[in-house]
Amino acid sequence: MIRRLNIFLICTSIVMLVGVYMLKFSIEGTAAERTALQIHISEQEDDLTTLKADWAVLNQPGYVEPIVRRHEAELGVSQVQQKQFGSFADLPMRPAKPDTAAMDALFLAIDAGVDPIDAILELEGIE
Amino acid sequence: MTITADGLAPTISLDGVRKARGNLTQARIRWMILALVLGFAAVGGRLVQLGMAETDTTIEGQTRDAITATRPPILDRNGLEMAVDIRVPSLYAEPRRIIDIEEAVTKLRTVLPDLDEAWLRNRLTGDKGFVWLRRELTPAIEEQVMRLGIPGIDFITESKRFYPAMNEASHVLGSTNVDNQGIAGIERHMDTESIALLQELGLARGNALTPVELSIDMRVQHVLHDQLTDAMTRYQAIAAAGAMMDIYTGEIVALASLPDFNPNDPASALVKDTFNRVTSGIFEPGSIFKTVTLAGALDSGMVGITDEFDARYGVRFGRYTIDDFHGKHRILSLPEVYKYSSNIGTIRIMQAMGKDNYRAFLSRMKFDERVQFELPEMRVPSVPKELSEVGAATASFGHGLSVSPLHMLTAYAAFVNGGNYIAPTLYKRSVADAEPLYERVIQPQTSAYMRYLMRLNAISTGGSGSQMNKAAQGYRVGGKTGTAEKVVDGRYSSNKVTNFFASAFPLDNPRYALVIMVDEPKAENPQSGTTAGWNAGTLTGRVVQRVAPMLGIAPDFQGLLDQQIVPPEVRRIFPEGY
Repeated sequence: MIRRLNIFLICTSIVMLVGVYMLKFSIEGTAAERTALQIHISEQEDDLTTLKADWAVLNQPGYVEPIVRRHEAELGVSQVQQKQFGSFADLPMRPAKPDTAAMDALFLAIDAGVDPIDAILELEGIE
Repeated sequence: MTITADGLAPTISLDGVRKARGNLTQARIRWMILALVLGFAAVGGRLVQLGMAETDTTIEGQTRDAITATRPPILDRNGLEMAVDIRVPSLYAEPRRIIDIEEAVTKLRTVLPDLDEAWLRNRLTGDKGFVWLRRELTPAIEEQVMRLGIPGIDFITESKRFYPAMNEASHVLGSTNVDNQGIAGIERHMDTESIALLQELGLARGNALTPVELSIDMRVQHVLHDQLTDAMTRYQAIAAAGAMMDIYTGEIVALASLPDFNPNDPASALVKDTFNRVTSGIFEPGSIFKTVTLAGALDSGMVGITDEFDARYGVRFGRYTIDDFHGKHRILSLPEVYKYSSNIGTIRIMQAMGKDNYRAFLSRMKFDERVQFELPEMRVPSVPKELSEVGAATASFGHGLSVSPLHMLTAYAAFVNGGNYIAPTLYKRSVADAEPLYERVIQPQTSAYMRYLMRLNAISTGGSGSQMNKAAQGYRVGGKTGTAEKVVDGRYSSNKVTNFFASAFPLDNPRYALVIMVDEPKAENPQSGTTAGWNAGTLTGRVVQRVAPMLGIAPDFQGLLDQQIVPPEVRRIFPEGY
């Protein structure tokens, strides 16, 4: 009886031992994975700080202005002048009633292939 | 033979087998106990030893935490980064683990040829646990060194401060040293506040800290810096500086001083003359100080805005006569005294107020103490404790006393904001937060007079600010010029001058005060002069022209806004207002 019990206990301990070792190795594996991930995260965070710094440089007015100055002639831009600013108060009010006759005439003209706006633009030499 | 039992004869005693075995077992148990005791003693002793051992976690006297410590990012008022942390690898060695020093030296020098050979050999020899070899390297170099595969050589990631705006806000930001501690500017101020403590506790490591928001607007800062740089070449000046302040909150919107330095390279800050002229430079302010005299006199009630002053002859003090530069030599009304920048008129105004009252007013405007401000680079102004008759006369037009441009900026802000002194700040602050800090220095009515006088100087014919107004048409800027002669060999020199222009805009409803300084300018072309209107004045105009739209100030050409600020009393002598 005792012998059987002993055999049973020995078998159980062997099984337990194997189990504990398997657990240990799997935990070691997980820990290694975790460390690798942590290193990866920290590396990416390092990269992120560099990218953020780059972004900050690219956003600086001191960085943008020389680029604008370089392309001033090509883009036809120049520093804004005071007279270029307007206010909402300067805009004319909407006419009380739409001028239906003029609108009809305009649409008819466009249908006929004549664009009065285009004519104005050509006259001004804009296009 | 008798057998005597005298003890000599051995008693024969025979133990039974069981007893003999019992004795043997007991002996064995004793040995076992001894062995176990020794074994446990050994384990216990080792435990005590391990407990006593102090592991050296420091790196050359500093904790690891302090080295990887981060600083909070610094943002401008619109959230643009002005200073960020980047993580960079730093090379270190563990000399006790290095096997072949010669090999390590040769190999390292293939990647880092600028390392001194003897120094490196010396550094790697010995039994030390940690030595720095080169700090703050690039990831590319890290990769190359790791490829060499030298045992005992490794990298640690450190935080390094980076300033994306380079030179532009150098004097505001200051700089940090290789250990990431603030050594100048707002960085230093932040350390004295709280971060140093956090870093010491190791709390500031790795985790993102709350960003610090400054009052600086990088767009305005850029324009100011750009225009000052331009002025340095345009007028061949030795220095130029300027600062702009929100008059209601005391926030410094821009602050620049040239020559400056690159905070990414702290060594460049050690070059001569790169000090912050706005806060730690004290100068004789010259005529911009007349605004202070007039404000004090008008506020005292002893002088009225329409009073007239005799400026026909110079004022005599013993052997000296103080006269006007380009004088009118007639009787001038108070607005004319300001407009023509008459020294004689200003002295008369100061005298009407009384020199002791005048000195008391200077104290009220805090001209004899440091401005309360975050930057550690500050100098105490030099204003005489008591003014003699002559001293008071020269002080009335800004000579014989030295203050920083920041003093003038806060004074001008108080003159136009309704009369409240507000200490400047570099941190974002709302009007509601600033209001409890207000200190009334002049009456609102005096403030209204000052706005008118400053605008008058810009748009009236013959006003010293007219040069400025040309560029800044429509933005209702007004201010005062100041040309202070420098003392060369004990005498005032007329070729070496420090020029100022102190202004505020838009004067119908002022928001910003601005002080510009140009040191020792030369004439831009033969037609122009070296007085302040030509350089500091036009420079102010150009700055305002560019920054006003950014600050949400719309230009106006109607002239109605200008007419609104003319005090009714003035209409009696100048019906048209200007």
